[in-house]
Amino acid sequence: MWKEYTVTYKSDNVYDNWVHDAYWQFLIIPVENETQKLLEFDFANSIHCINQYSINGFGFDTIKVHPKKKFKQISFEATFKVLKSNESTPNENNFAKIETSLNEINSLNFKIDFERYLRETSLTALPKQNKGIFKFESNTGIFENLLGLNHWSHSHLKYIAGVTNIASTLETILNQRSGVCQDFAHLFCAVCRHNQVPCRYVAGYLNHESGYLGNSQMHAWVEAFVPGSDG
Amino acid sequence: MLARVANNLFWMGRYIERSEHIARYMNVNYFSSLDAPNQISQDRQFVLRFMLFMVGEPVKDSNKTLIEEDVLFRIGVDTDFASSILNNVRYARENANSARDLISTELYESINKFYHFVLNYPKEVFVKSGLHDFTTNVTEMSAILRGKIRGTLLHDSVYAIIMMGVNIERSTQITRMINSKYNDALLAQGSYDDAFTKSFEWTTLLKCAESYDMMRRYYKKTPTSISTLEFLILNPNCPRSVMNSLNQFYKHVKILNPERRYNKESTAFLIGRVRAEYEFKYIEEIEQDIKSFIENILRSLDEISNKVDEEFFNY
Amino acid sequence: MSNIESQIFSSYQRNPDLYDEIYDSNGNIKDIYQKLFDIYGEHSIQDYINLNSKAKASFFNQGITFQVYGEDNVQEKIFPFDLFPRIIDQEEWDIIERGSIQRAKALNLFLWDIYHDKKILKDKVVPLELITSSANYLDQMNGVNPPGGIYNHISGTDIIKHKDGQYYVLEDNIRCPSGVSYVICNRTALKRALFGVFNHYQTHTVTDYAENLLEQLESVKPKGVDIPNCVVITPGMYNSAFYEHSYLAKTMGVELVEGRDLFVENDFVYMKTIKGPVKVDVIYRRIDDAFLDPLEFRPDSALGVPGLFAAYKKGNVTLANAPGTGVADDKAVYTYMPDIIKYYLNEDPILNNVHTYHCSRPDELKYVLENIPELVVKPVDEAGGYGISIGNRLTKEEIEEVKKQVKENPRKYVAQPIMSLSVHPTYIDDTESFEQRHVDLRTFTILGRDKEFVLKGGLTRVALKKGNLIVNSSQGGGSKDTWVLKNK
Repeated sequence: MWKEYTVTYKSDNVYDNWVHDAYWQFLIIPVENETQKLLEFDFANSIHCINQYSINGFGFDTIKVHPKKKFKQISFEATFKVLKSNESTPNENNFAKIETSLNEINSLNFKIDFERYLRETSLTALPKQNKGIFKFESNTGIFENLLGLNHWSHSHLKYIAGVTNIASTLETILNQRSGVCQDFAHLFCAVCRHNQVPCRYVAGYLNHESGYLGNSQMHAWVEAFVPGSDG
Repeated sequence: MLARVANNLFWMGRYIERSEHIARYMNVNYFSSLDAPNQISQDRQFVLRFMLFMVGEPVKDSNKTLIEEDVLFRIGVDTDFASSILNNVRYARENANSARDLISTELYESINKFYHFVLNYPKEVFVKSGLHDFTTNVTEMSAILRGKIRGTLLHDSVYAIIMMGVNIERSTQITRMINSKYNDALLAQGSYDDAFTKSFEWTTLLKCAESYDMMRRYYKKTPTSISTLEFLILNPNCPRSVMNSLNQFYKHVKILNPERRYNKESTAFLIGRVRAEYEFKYIEEIEQDIKSFIENILRSLDEISNKVDEEFFNY
Repeated sequence: MSNIESQIFSSYQRNPDLYDEIYDSNGNIKDIYQKLFDIYGEHSIQDYINLNSKAKASFFNQGITFQVYGEDNVQEKIFPFDLFPRIIDQEEWDIIERGSIQRAKALNLFLWDIYHDKKILKDKVVPLELITSSANYLDQMNGVNPPGGIYNHISGTDIIKHKDGQYYVLEDNIRCPSGVSYVICNRTALKRALFGVFNHYQTHTVTDYAENLLEQLESVKPKGVDIPNCVVITPGMYNSAFYEHSYLAKTMGVELVEGRDLFVENDFVYMKTIKGPVKVDVIYRRIDDAFLDPLEFRPDSALGVPGLFAAYKKGNVTLANAPGTGVADDKAVYTYMPDIIKYYLNEDPILNNVHTYHCSRPDELKYVLENIPELVVKPVDEAGGYGISIGNRLTKEEIEEVKKQVKENPRKYVAQPIMSLSVHPTYIDDTESFEQRHVDLRTFTILGRDKEFVLKGGLTRVALKKGNLIVNSSQGGGSKDTWVLKNK
């Protein structure tokens, strides 16, 4: 089953002084994979500056904008039409046996190939005293452990908007035991990586059904790689 | 050639030329005033005021008494005064630095030596007894630089840009000198009937432009207002004349943009237009209203400079 | 001989504990230095002082200077230069040249590997942590194929001669190694001052560097480009190496650009000229990775070009050296160089590595703690000679302090035997005489598509402070002209 979604971004920027020689790089084009297809998109700005389609350092598609004239005000509007499949979520039967997958994640080659998704970053560093805050069970599969982690993090933190910002570390979050979606995602990533399971942070939109309107914030979640899976 | 570097070369040419002009009119005015035939031309205050006027710092208060050593220091070697000779040479060198890969080692070494000479000239000596020595050296070193520019660079776009800078600066400086001397000649009218036209200031002006001897050879008469202006403005064979500078400028801008089609937006078009105006001018027309002539030519030179900016350096 | 001794070398004092390059093991002047020694010996001290000041003036007038910012003025100083050249014979040079190429090639293969399949890590030759803990590892370079497969187009290898008479590599520099212009300037200055001495020696030229560099840059042009447009990018005229940047651009006959002279449009790079935009294909960059592209790295960088990295990643422009090379020239990787050479080239290293003890390994830590007076202890992540403890210079208390630091954080430290850098007669202004001073050598190696070249000369750096072993210019070093002889 595929469903069509339309996402529109708007941004108005006003400056006190003239802006010369500005550069923007927009990382907003939805990825295309087996679960989502980009049907069409449109991106425009109020001063009619041309879009340059390019990539960023990691190879993701970006749009670069560099106005040649000075300005004090500029607004952007982007619209994406995306086709999304609602394939059922994976279950433990999709993955390799417990032992095989544990062997794999503990192998050097695996650690090297997935190093980028296992590396601790400043926002995914567990404080010293919290290193063992959630331990994966060695007698259950990795997928079940991830489900467990998901439940645990939902019970461990309370969702409160505004108590954190984009630079909040896990130290703060775990102390106050509250945060928003990105904080949940960071905690999930940190524990996941600490248990040798590669994962990455994803930003996107949640299906609110029946046409959600208004100033909706982007959502955040985590993608983890479970050995033995096909993708 | 990079647009930024072209801009650097253009200004290098301008600053070299400007340093030389400042040095020369300091020297000529100061020393010719020592035994000038009338009192005003001999007056030290009068000379100092002229010097300050030429570097763009006219003294408005006519009652103020200027201190000679302060004025000489300021114009010659003051690091805090943007228009001092020292800073002009410094800017010339900084511009040369940015274009160092395009100019010859010989030219760069000469500019560098020039800078160190000016920088290290003992300042106390300069204000007390070094004026002649310092300014003579500055004019001679500029002449060496001109020689190196002509003799060690390929006569291509790099050379053309530098020469455009030199010539626009030269015509600007000459015109400003004429302007200032015209005012002085009005003030310095003495007991003679024909005071303005035969003023001593015309001789000083010609000396400031290093054109006195050639002018005497050409006219075989004492300089008058009309013959001086004709020589310095219209004579295409006088190397310092406005006419010659415009011709040179035109010649070099054609190297950068050799296209022949009608293009009224180009620098070459504009300079050609200005040149044509003076090529067929009677000096008598100019003499009737020197003041507006000077205003006109300064405005045209300004327009040309802006046009160069727009066509070649604007990025 | 006695006449000579009475002249400028009369007060030269040899410390028998040091390896003096101009003497052989029997205490006689080596054959290759004899003629030089005789010629210099003919000069009186006063002659020499005159020559020396002329040479300095030549540097000064050429504007080969750096700026010292004082309280109320800016002073220009020349880099200290010594008129007594260092000579390397053909046989020894051959080792240095082959060794430098070997290291450069091995490092290049290493870089390709760690930005692609990472085989060397998987085969457990180099530990994974070494790479991932490096601040200079650029994730963005993963999977990027630089044109011609070259990362370290230009390498600077710092080599010393130990008292055993052998050459050892101290450091590889494969980011933006500088100093090559001084090699050429030193030669020019020496020729101006003492041209007569060149009549007696068959010395290799050093002026062919630029043509080789240009040939190399052209060889790594992007795909689909016929005649590449190469440029040198500099941080600007206030950079301490600006003279070198302009020198290289001038002698290669290419444009010297700053970030603001370039722009990127649709992932191609252009420079702004008096006749409009002109496409740029190969950039010899003399600005650091972090400043290359404000859209990708440091957003506050005004030195770089927005969008440059995307153009590079798409293969539309070549950067030399490639971004991310810094991961391979830090001190921790250095200690694995013999293994790296063996792994990729299946050869034994031609130039020695100084043996390194890793304090992270318990048995080696034990050895280090027990033998501090015989060792140099270095933090693995400091540049420019900082944080180094030289064991035989330390007091008892200092030794204890070093032990404490190492024990607290063993992973942060490596230790090496104290190397005794060879010495060379160097004229010292203060005493108006020649004295022994420690020297090293930086060689310059160029790698291109099917091309390798080592400049036959290199930069001999001198530690001008008496007894000082650190030759970096930031720590008061000077330099000497270095002659490589064509035959013995």
